[in-house]
Amino acid sequence: MSFTDSLTLIVRSLPTLLQGACITMALIATCLGVGFFLGVPLALVHVYGASWCKWVAAIYDRIFRGFPALVLLFLFYFGLGSIEGVSLSPFLAVVLALGLRSAAYQAQIYRGSLLAVGEGQMAAAQSLGMSKPQAIWSVLLPQALHFSLPGLANEYSIVLKDTALAFAVGVIELLSRGKFIVARTYATMTIYLTVAAIYLILTYLGVLVFWMMERRTSIPGLGDRAKESRR
Amino acid sequence: MSFLAGALPRLFQGMSITLQLSVCSIPIGLAIGIAVALGRSYGGFLLSSLAWGYQALFRGTPLLVQLFIIYYGLPRFGLVLSPFVSAIVAFSLCSGAYHSEYLRGAILSIKSGQLEAARALGMGRLQAILSIILPQMLRKALPACSNEIVYLIKYSSLSYLVTLVDLTGQGRLIAYETFRFFEVFLVVGLLYLGLVTIANRLLRSLENRVHVPGL
Repeated sequence: MSFTDSLTLIVRSLPTLLQGACITMALIATCLGVGFFLGVPLALVHVYGASWCKWVAAIYDRIFRGFPALVLLFLFYFGLGSIEGVSLSPFLAVVLALGLRSAAYQAQIYRGSLLAVGEGQMAAAQSLGMSKPQAIWSVLLPQALHFSLPGLANEYSIVLKDTALAFAVGVIELLSRGKFIVARTYATMTIYLTVAAIYLILTYLGVLVFWMMERRTSIPGLGDRAKESRR
Repeated sequence: MSFLAGALPRLFQGMSITLQLSVCSIPIGLAIGIAVALGRSYGGFLLSSLAWGYQALFRGTPLLVQLFIIYYGLPRFGLVLSPFVSAIVAFSLCSGAYHSEYLRGAILSIKSGQLEAARALGMGRLQAILSIILPQMLRKALPACSNEIVYLIKYSSLSYLVTLVDLTGQGRLIAYETFRFFEVFLVVGLLYLGLVTIANRLLRSLENRVHVPGL
């Protein structure tokens, strides 16, 4: 295949691939959302929970961080789907598997930043007459969430790359669409490299958005902590 | 329970593939990581930008896409790799990119005065890097690299998607034969959890072994 042929093919495939990219973005947004709304309470349990609550949270953490993403996905899609009366759409299965998994990882991020904000602030807030939940809600959590943004940017890029697994249960996202086009045109390298380029752009655009959020919410006088990186 | 007794030998067979993949890719990935981290920190403009490009490329795209490019894409250029070899190449290249980022962070945390002091003692540049910087960098990056190694073990499950029958692949086959999807994948997951826990223990004890008091 000549260079111009490849170029024409890329241009003709782009609309399909970009539609797939939209589905990928929808997957990421819902997975991160599930992870956020479950991860924050989990982190609070990790830090402030009663001992039996901590125990339950630790088991959740073990399972969702110890199982490979692909096995979790199969467990939810084929496993739950095989139970009588339960039927999950592929999209929902991916959101559950990757969302619950992200919750375990996000809980670790928030736990770290809650601990970084420190005991002193809790004591100060309580000495001003705030109750413990009140202090957590209006003093510790806002700061902790700001400190979590670098970790969250990492989590975004991880979830983005894990959504590629959705093709294994039949969600027609970016990679599956690439695979369909390859099956028709046999242009493996051209198409997969285009797909890779779209993922690359999505990764760095998202990281940029998180970086801007971090700047917007920065607290004057509070130094930014060193960024940790994790896949 | 009886079906589990029949399934376990096959699952262990799959697990040995998973282990082989991990055992081959971990050292190669680490070696790539060390070379790239050193290249990016101490190389000239060309070498460091090459290293940067490699990191951006392999950390910015899904491992599965890399695996597909290597397994399905390379044969177009006459390079036909078996599923096992493609999986090892993809896993090593991908984890090498992550390792290199952690190792580079470790290099940045070592004061540049150490390199100057080594040079002042008459060491060559390469010698100073290899015998002063390298040992410290490896120790400092070990916790992050341990994480990456554990990730690699879990992500080796993707090899099933290029037709390799590893632990996940065996699980899938057994599940289709017995229609016990939930139980089979739960057992598969627990086996991975066991592998990961053992790997964590080993790496933690390695960290303690090489720990330098006061560093």
